[in-house]
Amino acid sequence: MDRNQLSTKQESDADASAKPVTKARQNWTPGRVAAGIILIILLCTGGFLSLFPLGRAFTRSALLLPALLSDSAPAPLVVAGDPVRVTHLTLFPHTSRTAYLDIYEPATPPPPIPGGREVIIDVPGAGDNRSVPQLVNLSRSLAQEGIIDVNVGTPALFDYRVETQEGAAVVEAFELMEHWPGVNPQHIGIITFSVGSLSAYEAAADPHIRDKIAFLAILGGYTDITSLLHDVGTRSQTINGKTERWEPIATTAYVLYRSVSYLFSPSDQKLLQKAFPLTTSFPPPLPAAKVAQLSPVGAAYYHLLEGDQPDRVNQNIAALTPQMKALLTRLSPLSIISQVRPPIYLLHDRNDPAIPYSQALEMVAALSRLHHPYNFTTYTIFSHVEINLNSSLLQELSNGPRLLGVLTRVVLPGS
Amino acid sequence: MLILSLLWVVLGLIIGALANAAKLRPASWKSRGWLAMLGLGVLTALLGGWLGAWLLSALFATATAVWVAVLGVALLPRLIAWCSARLHTG
Repeated sequence: MDRNQLSTKQESDADASAKPVTKARQNWTPGRVAAGIILIILLCTGGFLSLFPLGRAFTRSALLLPALLSDSAPAPLVVAGDPVRVTHLTLFPHTSRTAYLDIYEPATPPPPIPGGREVIIDVPGAGDNRSVPQLVNLSRSLAQEGIIDVNVGTPALFDYRVETQEGAAVVEAFELMEHWPGVNPQHIGIITFSVGSLSAYEAAADPHIRDKIAFLAILGGYTDITSLLHDVGTRSQTINGKTERWEPIATTAYVLYRSVSYLFSPSDQKLLQKAFPLTTSFPPPLPAAKVAQLSPVGAAYYHLLEGDQPDRVNQNIAALTPQMKALLTRLSPLSIISQVRPPIYLLHDRNDPAIPYSQALEMVAALSRLHHPYNFTTYTIFSHVEINLNSSLLQELSNGPRLLGVLTRVVLPGS
Repeated sequence: MLILSLLWVVLGLIIGALANAAKLRPASWKSRGWLAMLGLGVLTALLGGWLGAWLLSALFATATAVWVAVLGVALLPRLIAWCSARLHTG
């Protein structure tokens, strides 16, 4: 074979091998590639949302978010959600430890994966909130998602009073749910709202259960009653060193009065009750003659709640009796925060009219000092602890991802 | 469950159609092969959905139906074609 013959043979081999390559390239049309990519995306998305705990938690929170924002269950949750069974229980009736539990649970047995169900214990704020539509909707939506939701109420909170030892009711609820059928006792968390936070913090600091609580989420909670009184008295709050105007709602003053009322004399109680009733707005201030009838402590507390002596707030706080100051300390979650074990998720609206935003920042500072695990998110769509259903689309879009993140953390243990 | 099953049928059809577009059908499936892919998509989606509903709860059944159907239309045709070839050679 001469050199020319060899060269011709090599060229024809090259042509033969090039043809299938060209044909293969022609087969990879844009439509085929696009269909392949869509199938890969579907495979990865479906696998992530169903096989991985984080994916399942994301699915749950993504379905829960529209339920919260719209105040009704979204269609996918109605179609795919579990039927819900509601049980009303009263623990220790007719005693000082009475607690009312509303248990919203799926009416189906728990699925094999991940096994036992998660439980969320809700501690709503002051007043009887058991039939508040947003709370009922949240509880029902959680139950439809396979999570047992327990609303805990106590006579004191129903009566707009914050009391110490109320955390015992939450501990009782926790211990009851530990042995509830179908529950994974490692997956019990607590969500609390507004002034219900003291009970939740007390439970999270209780040596019997504090190491077993999966998380503690607090929406619109307070940290220190004395600093809260300061903000109410000055009608202002200090954010990052900058003082800004803050107007409390009448309910804040009512709860602050009710929680310490038993320390006042009967005559002081009568006048203070008249000055701070349970109304939507503050009534006119007491006449000077009536204020003059108050004891020095009663007058100091009156001016703090009325906000008519913003320059004398520190003196008025100093004028409170040692007994009252001690009670204010005991009623402040700040006094027990070092004993709390579970991770804390703090949520607070920037324009909260009931508990100032500064209270959340105070808790953040305390948690940072203690190196306690926490997550803090700020919102603008809440009216204290209820979603403002008239929020703009822009507000919902800016708040939605943050809320989605917290919801994912909350439902992750049971996913 | 009926509404969910209907949803999975629709998803299975879409995934089967995508598999056809992605040319995942074996070359040996000449006539009506595209229809077999649609059927395979529906069958695997329903299987995945029911399996997901049983193992994970109905909330995650649709996501399970999707990935099972994609895996089904990607792998089963090749498996069937391979088995068929083995049977014929055997």
